Amino acid sequence: MEIEEVKLEETLLCNHCETSVNDDDAFCQDCGYPLKGNEQDVAKFYAKRAMNKNKNIDAAEKIKSAKNTLFVIAGVVLLFAIVRYLSIGDIADLIINFIVCCMYILLGFWTEQKPLMALLLGLLLYVTLVVISAVLEPMTLVKGILWKIVIISYLGKGIYSASSIKTNA
Amino acid sequence: MITCQNCKSVVETHVKFCSKCGQSIKKDIDSSRMNAINLIIGFYVANLIFIACTYLISDGSTQDFKMDLGIEIAFAILVLCFSALDYKNILKLYSFKNIHWKVLLFAIVVPIFTSIIVYYLMALINFLLEEGEYVNYYETYLYLEAPLLWSIIFIAILPPIFEELAFRGFLFNKLREVASGKLTIIATAFLFALIHFSFISFLWIFPFGLLLGYLRSKYNTLWIGILIHFIHNFIILLIDYYSYNSIV
Repeated sequence: MEIEEVKLEETLLCNHCETSVNDDDAFCQDCGYPLKGNEQDVAKFYAKRAMNKNKNIDAAEKIKSAKNTLFVIAGVVLLFAIVRYLSIGDIADLIINFIVCCMYILLGFWTEQKPLMALLLGLLLYVTLVVISAVLEPMTLVKGILWKIVIISYLGKGIYSASSIKTNA
Repeated sequence: MITCQNCKSVVETHVKFCSKCGQSIKKDIDSSRMNAINLIIGFYVANLIFIACTYLISDGSTQDFKMDLGIEIAFAILVLCFSALDYKNILKLYSFKNIHWKVLLFAIVVPIFTSIIVYYLMALINFLLEEGEYVNYYETYLYLEAPLLWSIIFIAILPPIFEELAFRGFLFNKLREVASGKLTIIATAFLFALIHFSFISFLWIFPFGLLLGYLRSKYNTLWIGILIHFIHNFIILLIDYYSYNSIV
């Protein structure tokens, strides 16, 4: 009796992750291991897993550089605010720029807990401010356009990486 | 239970891989999340560009009824086009099922306080900062024959209907697909405040958006938000109307 039970259990476990599987399953439902596949299929399975692992490391790096982008923007805004205050002396202008700078810093720190939402809001905040300054003074849109594209692409890459990493966790 | 996109066999919801063909179920979820994120960014940027255009068009030119009406209609069309992509889920938000009389009473009483507080708080901040003169909403429609009627339509009736549909309807639904309920409320309130293009208004629109988002997620209906938004705007307009008439 005992031997039979052990045998039964053995046939029902996945070779890779040892989750119990059904007899008629062609693939493990938990890890995707090819239960009825040949050696080639198994090799493919391990290659795919290794690739996914690399992808996740890559995604984490992209999120990190997007986070740093938010801090860089915050720094530039602060610098800009101080220079403007010293030349114009408008206190309201200084306060507004300071609040914007704080928003970027908060979103930057928030990236550690909620990367997708923090980066999404960071990108939309940045785009909004670009559009507002373009409405006030159309020439600002062209000024430093390369920087704008770089910033938007870094934040965008971070958002899509955050979106793919969340379901893996 | 969900269907595998690759071989159409039915699999359990918690399963990560299809047991028949080995297709990753997560990938399907991934692509639908990507789709939602693209729509969120697309919708927000479309609104942003639209508002920027209205600022550029109306800047400097004289007041024109056709232009005012055209802007309102264009905004309505923009919102309705995006909403049509998700019309099944949005139509559900127009049900009256979850509206209890107590909630309705709350929705009538609260905006009376919010509007009066906001009106005088804004007047105070504008006075302290001396940043541009306060815009009297009623005064901007004086060029028309029936200014009160048109200002009620343009300020108190149309914006609540379409802004609620845009932010508490479409944007809320799409954000909910990629984030938790709490985060969705915060994010919609943030974007709602951001798109009003004013740092001073941000102070009150953000909490206002949090309240509207919370009610939307709790009762799953847009009517409460529309009612609060309507009464809020209506009272501010009435204060403008009386303050204008008392000066004249």
